[in-house]
Amino acid sequence: MTQRSEKQGIESAAIRSRNRFSEEKVAVIVFIIFALLPIFITGYPIYILPQYMLFGVLAMSLALLWGFVGILSFGQAAFFALGAYTMGLAMQTNFGVNSGYIGILISPLVGGVLAAITGYFLFNAGVKATYFVLVTLALSIMIEQIAVSQSDITGGWNGMYIDRMPLTFGTFGEISLFNDIPAYYAIFPVVIAIYVFVRWLATGRFGKILIGIRENEDRMTALGFNISAYKTGAFALSGAIACLAGALYGAHANFVAPSLGGVLFSTEVVVWVAIAGRASLLAALLGGILVASLSNYLSTITPDYWQLVLGIIFILVIVFLKGGVAGAISDLSKHLQSKVKR
Amino acid sequence: METIISVLVDATLITLVLALAAFGLAIIYGLIGVINMGHGAMLTLGAYFTWATTTAGVPFILAVILAALGVAIVGLLLEHIIIRHFYDKPFDTLLLTWAFFLIMTEVIKIVFGTDFRNVANPLPGAIDFGTIKIPAYRGAIALFSLLLIGATAFVFYRTNLGIKIRALIQNREVASLLGLNVSRTYKFVFGIGSGIAGLAGGLISPMLSVDPYIGNVYLVRSFFVVIVGGVGQLLGGTLIGSFFIGGAETIFALFSKQVFAQSIVFLLAIVILRYRPAGILKQS
Repeated sequence: MTQRSEKQGIESAAIRSRNRFSEEKVAVIVFIIFALLPIFITGYPIYILPQYMLFGVLAMSLALLWGFVGILSFGQAAFFALGAYTMGLAMQTNFGVNSGYIGILISPLVGGVLAAITGYFLFNAGVKATYFVLVTLALSIMIEQIAVSQSDITGGWNGMYIDRMPLTFGTFGEISLFNDIPAYYAIFPVVIAIYVFVRWLATGRFGKILIGIRENEDRMTALGFNISAYKTGAFALSGAIACLAGALYGAHANFVAPSLGGVLFSTEVVVWVAIAGRASLLAALLGGILVASLSNYLSTITPDYWQLVLGIIFILVIVFLKGGVAGAISDLSKHLQSKVKR
Repeated sequence: METIISVLVDATLITLVLALAAFGLAIIYGLIGVINMGHGAMLTLGAYFTWATTTAGVPFILAVILAALGVAIVGLLLEHIIIRHFYDKPFDTLLLTWAFFLIMTEVIKIVFGTDFRNVANPLPGAIDFGTIKIPAYRGAIALFSLLLIGATAFVFYRTNLGIKIRALIQNREVASLLGLNVSRTYKFVFGIGSGIAGLAGGLISPMLSVDPYIGNVYLVRSFFVVIVGGVGQLLGGTLIGSFFIGGAETIFALFSKQVFAQSIVFLLAIVILRYRPAGILKQS
């Protein structure tokens, strides 16, 4: 029943990729705009934008899972926070090389392994999608509680300070990332790289199999695909990306507190992705960036009402607009194209 | 010996309070299959209603009844406006009730503020049993929880209404063909479940500081109670699930910090959910 209702709402990503307004073209334009932005704007927006981009990556990690496989995780922020803590711990340790690099390398491993273990454990037994939501919700609470209770390691409620790493090039010297613009241009390419990588996976064989699982699990099983392995793989990938984004976020924000992994933030990510459109990676990325900046801007003006509005929009999207904004735009463009042809 | 008895008593009290908190969820999920993610917000709302009315001078028992009614009305509105259109899409009801949770939490913050609120304990003091002392209010709540679950079981297994609801669970189509008003029964169950959540929130409120997020942790604990106990097993399931979750938490809390103990229990519950998705007693 669930699968069918999901299917009705979401346009197949395969169809969308044939659209004239292809996601790649939009992505190129968007990335060029972001690349040029620091020339026109300075100050706070340029300082904060990399963090929002990483929120966007976090949203994308959820879209990969929710939009493509049809599995919803209420625990993405847990991985994000885990990444930030991993980065913080790495920066406190002397590895003999740039600790930041070690943090960046370790964090996706930590997130990927945790997700793989959780995923393998649950998917292998065919645990219901709704129960998976509850387990990931519990995961989120657990990460927050462990961060609070193990205060010797994590700093407890007070959070953990994270040094901002420099970019080192061995004997060729190093670039300090303490100024906004170098930090911006250090994180932005990573965001692009992650997007390109996930997009490549999602449009390739792996992504098609995931969509197949979303559309008809039984048939994919009959065709000989190992469903639980693919689901586990997708969840591990999603966890690894969320954790990497968290590590970079921690390094940029210089700080992580338990609430970063908490339930509220985890579900906020779900709201972003639902509104932006869960079947499109770019929409999720941009949705994360836009809604996070709007949240930050509006919550200084009207903190409570903004959350309220977000909640109401969330309901409206679920009831009327399954594909989110991206789905609506894609439907509209298809509608217009069919009119032109006639 | 004394510590063993006091741990046992503690575990029993926690079990019964937890059963009370989880019962509204068990009813809605077990009977009509809606995973009510708004359960936490309903508990919180019940607590705030109780705080508001007792502060206005209403006696505690009346305040709790009003809270239960208030939350039942909110639940009925939610059901009528949104949920009833999505009964055949369980995943959507999950998201929609979650949205309800988000909205309700914000409304609570706007209306009542974010400061900690305290509801005066209507039964201060403790009952002395010689070797151990039981806080009077906790004891009363535990007893009430047992009575409530017992009474519901009576309605469920010994009355006409109970037969209708059980018919509905067994086969919705046939029940409706036989003239049972399905949508009205669903509405009734949703209202009762919400009301009991509000009642639980009101009754729990004197035991803790009330803030807009008290329902969060109870939501997940309640779910694990229901799943560990077995969905649809209103009477035994809720008690067994609560005993497992609450009891394990009490025992682990002896060795580590309270919050950490809870994480361990969640982990255990996930393991059980994996191997016994139909409840701890049932082989799937």
